Amino acid sequence: MLYVQDGDLVIPGQLMGEKIRHDINCFHEGDKVFSSVRGIVRVEDNRVRVIPSSGGYVPREGDLVIGVITNILPGRWSVNIRSPYLCTLRGEEVTRDPLGVDLSRYFKIGDRISAKISMVDEVHSCQITGPWKLEGGIIIDVDPKRIPRVVGRRRSMLNIIKEKTGCKIVVGQNGWIWIKDKQTEFAIKTIKRIEREAQTQGLTDRIIKMLDKELSIKL
Amino acid sequence: MEIEACLRKDYITNLVREGKRLDGRRFDEYRNIEIEKNYVGEKACGSALVRLGETKVLVGVSLNVGEPYPDAPEEGVMTVSAELRPMASPSFEAGPPGEEAIEVARVVDRGIRESGAIEMEKLFIEEGKVWIVFVDIHVLDQEGNMIDASGIASIAALLNTRMPRYEDDQIIRGEWSGKLPISCVPVPCTSVKIDDSILIDPSLDEEYAMDARLTVVTTDTINAMQKGGQGALKEDEILSAIDLSFDKGNEIRKLIQGP
Amino acid sequence: MAKEDIELIKNGKRLDGRKFDELREIKIEVGVLSRAMGSAYIEWGKNKVIAAVYGPRELHPKYLRDPRRAHLRCIYNLAPFSVEDRKRPGPDRRSVEISKVSSDALSSVVMLEKYPNTVIDIFIEILQADAGTRCAGLNAASVALADAGIPMRDIVSSCAAGKVNGEIVLDLMKEEDNLGECDLPVAIIPRKKEVVLLQMDGKLTREEFKKAYELAVDGAMRVYKMQKEALISSVNDVIIGE
Repeated sequence: MLYVQDGDLVIPGQLMGEKIRHDINCFHEGDKVFSSVRGIVRVEDNRVRVIPSSGGYVPREGDLVIGVITNILPGRWSVNIRSPYLCTLRGEEVTRDPLGVDLSRYFKIGDRISAKISMVDEVHSCQITGPWKLEGGIIIDVDPKRIPRVVGRRRSMLNIIKEKTGCKIVVGQNGWIWIKDKQTEFAIKTIKRIEREAQTQGLTDRIIKMLDKELSIKL
Repeated sequence: MEIEACLRKDYITNLVREGKRLDGRRFDEYRNIEIEKNYVGEKACGSALVRLGETKVLVGVSLNVGEPYPDAPEEGVMTVSAELRPMASPSFEAGPPGEEAIEVARVVDRGIRESGAIEMEKLFIEEGKVWIVFVDIHVLDQEGNMIDASGIASIAALLNTRMPRYEDDQIIRGEWSGKLPISCVPVPCTSVKIDDSILIDPSLDEEYAMDARLTVVTTDTINAMQKGGQGALKEDEILSAIDLSFDKGNEIRKLIQGP
Repeated sequence: MAKEDIELIKNGKRLDGRKFDELREIKIEVGVLSRAMGSAYIEWGKNKVIAAVYGPRELHPKYLRDPRRAHLRCIYNLAPFSVEDRKRPGPDRRSVEISKVSSDALSSVVMLEKYPNTVIDIFIEILQADAGTRCAGLNAASVALADAGIPMRDIVSSCAAGKVNGEIVLDLMKEEDNLGECDLPVAIIPRKKEVVLLQMDGKLTREEFKKAYELAVDGAMRVYKMQKEALISSVNDVIIGE
């Protein structure tokens, strides 16, 4: 028995159904299924889940994230990936002899990198792999829970922004986005608007309209 | 380690080199300023909420009767305190005011005190009794330039401060007898130096990118100044910050005094 | 003057014209601060309160870390200018107590087990106080938690009832709180109607308590509807002009 529809907005503790299958951001007590966050209901194949409208980042294996090197320790770096948990990058990622060489030759404190999360343990501490140094450009903050909207289905939204602005953009699942090249400020403005209006209808059309309008003024 | 500085500092510095700011402002342009006087008008004697861009500061003024300072027995007393509430920034902590809060309070205090904005001699009640004016600055959202937001909110709050009725040695709360006498409107204007350029009203990101900061509080003269930040300033930079502060101070004063 | 001599109720109406079971006017806004991860503003009669949430974030000092769950830390603070006689800045015994019972109340709904070793900070700032600030603060805090996207089993909703001139009434304002016979703030988990905060001072018989308690729970349920509406509309009302 389902009490909500696809697209409904719910709040924490709201009853969504009884004896139904449920997925992320839901919990059940007996047969009753509730939402644990504020967000939009998705119903697919009679399974209910909730897309949260906001929230912090908790590391997940396979996520591409952007981080800042905060410390150099024997054989490894610690990296801030905007989560409350420890994140380390092993020296082996770049050298065969991590204890023998000066690791700051590769990444210094304050350097910004993108990398993939390779492992998360039971208390959410994680390791990252495949570090790539992000030179120049700017990193902006976006609510991590709104990142899927910035990327869009099959990267559609991100491709539109990249194409129209000509910027290089790397989107970290942790809510940090790296942007470089000429129309950076314009890309920032666009992304901030997507963040603000993440859970509204017709967003893609509004964004395309905005991009075309502003670009035609510039040309 | 301030992560924010690593994210945007270099970009902002390069942008300034090209004569631009991240939010599209000119170097001599303030963010939008909104002043809501009497924001907490039921209990406080005076108050104002200032939104400077996304920075939000609430100031409340309370009046009490107390003893004057021995060296000015016929004058009222003013104290300014600032609290950087932990809700305002992830880097603010609960607890007694730290040095940053004390700096904000003291710069605002000096501007008001030295300009003679409050007519202290009119706050004399009788021998050994004067009005004590408490100006409490509450920073609620720190997105840069707390000093200007605090100073603007303080003088705006003082301008709409009512004097409580005082009879038979007692303050009658909720009843009023006129307004706090104010003679002028000191306005703090803060500029920062980034890559040898002077920019007014720094955003939070610009504060992370700045070499040095200069606050100039003006009326028709300069009333207080405060240099901050670890970098150094040259004479011509100081002079241009002063000119800018007079100009912008006049504009903001009109906003504070209202229509 | 003896308490009983003051007429707080005239012709079945209260000083501000309310009926016995009537709430003061309430307005809730969501996402009012820029830096905080979640925030809410509530105006409740003459009360003006902001709540903000940071976290889950790293907890210092380390010895407070719990590998099984997050630590929830609520700080209730009265601004110096929130009351007529200026309050000295900093925590006093009253605000420390309110901070503690509020932390406990909110901990009962937040899924702390999802964020081991971290802290969730909640700051409640009373900008203007007129009786009922702890209820207003809790209501704002639970909305701010939901705004911050922190998983919860429910919202916490809170309201007080009390006894004034011998009558059981809902939601005491300042004069009634000062001169009335009893104040009973209650916070509940709406969907179970279970109590997560209850304090009382004054004099009540068992029957009076039952009546006051039911009135307070009914008030909290009405507040819950407003919290829900504020949270939903904060997501819906964001489209800016073209």
